[in-house]
Amino acid sequence: MTVRAVRIAVLVLALAASGARAAEGPRAVVQRMTDAALEVLRNKEMSSDDKRNRLEQIASAETDFDTISRLVLARNWSTFSPAQQTEFVRLFKDHLSLTYGRNIENYHNERVELTGDHEEPRGDWTVNTKILRGGGAQDILVDYRLRKEGDAWRIIDFIIERVSLVANFRSQFQDLVSQGGPQKVLDVLREKNARGEPLEKK
Amino acid sequence: MFWFNDHVDTYVLAPVATGWSKVAPTRVRTSVSNFFTNLRFPIVTANDLLQWKPKAAGVDVARFGVNTTVGVLGFFDPASGWGLERHDEDFGQTLAVWGVPSGPYLVIPLLGPSDVRDAGGLIVDEALAVTPWFVDSYILVGAGVLDAVNTRSLVLNEVREAKRSSLDYYSFVRNAYFQRRRALIADTAAPGVEQQQELYYIPEDATPEPEQK
Repeated sequence: MTVRAVRIAVLVLALAASGARAAEGPRAVVQRMTDAALEVLRNKEMSSDDKRNRLEQIASAETDFDTISRLVLARNWSTFSPAQQTEFVRLFKDHLSLTYGRNIENYHNERVELTGDHEEPRGDWTVNTKILRGGGAQDILVDYRLRKEGDAWRIIDFIIERVSLVANFRSQFQDLVSQGGPQKVLDVLREKNARGEPLEKK
Repeated sequence: MFWFNDHVDTYVLAPVATGWSKVAPTRVRTSVSNFFTNLRFPIVTANDLLQWKPKAAGVDVARFGVNTTVGVLGFFDPASGWGLERHDEDFGQTLAVWGVPSGPYLVIPLLGPSDVRDAGGLIVDEALAVTPWFVDSYILVGAGVLDAVNTRSLVLNEVREAKRSSLDYYSFVRNAYFQRRRALIADTAAPGVEQQQELYYIPEDATPEPEQK
């Protein structure tokens, strides 16, 4: 290829990337989501409730709760009836929103750094980030695993300090299913969500 | 045993740690934590060598030198800022590198989650720690208590959140323990290929429900 042809190709690619959000790669998705979340967290005018709602929207837009639900239930997924599956996805999403949403009270102007990304063996991507809290052991490592669905990259796991949320919840749900089947899982989720509803006040 | 430890934590350790967190600002508590981390130097370095990581061992010797002098007896950690990254090694990890399987999950009274291999590792690490050779036992006990209270005080929020967000706390702790140990042993955050297969891809026959669009 001539130098000129390369230049044109680069230009076309750059235009395509800037134009359509569909062309956004996994790293860009995480970057955009993190930036949006930090902007909300830093906003001094917003109430805690507004912040929580806004953060939930930001995270939900990029997260594939259907896939996460299937992965956390693994083999148990098929023992849930279609109605139970639908309810599970809703309850589990609420549970994650509630428990992680509460953490906004712990935010003290930390910054987030994207430290890397790489492709996994079967096409998923992992994006590594670090919540900066003074260096060394104080920083928190958060990795996102994304999978391409149609045109968009969506998050299918959060790995916090090397502990995968999917793996961890799978083990918990496995224990709950063996104690009392799908009904037990739904009961525990419902009960936890009902208790977790109020915003945590300082 | 798990619930015994949880009771000790809830009614003794956590309240004391909360009190300590009110008296001592985070900066002080981080320094105390640095001090105890620095004292683990013989354990970490010996295990670097036993796992044949001479480069890491060199870094850990340099860290000890820098942090003990410039870092005032280890209360500060200038080494990390100079690119001498901290390593977390122990004899349980060394055994794993040598091919010893973890064995069943184990909860040790007062010490918390472990497994058979790592519990054995703790005994060897105790022997590798140089401090007990020349420090009085009552000072050691006092230091151990301070270390425990201080460490706990740095994770008050995290433990509270873990209890709230988990649906089965026992299962949560057991799984987090194994995941974390696996990552520490491999010295990387990424799970292996087989593990990924198992975690992120469910065989089609296990999901008879048609895709909803």
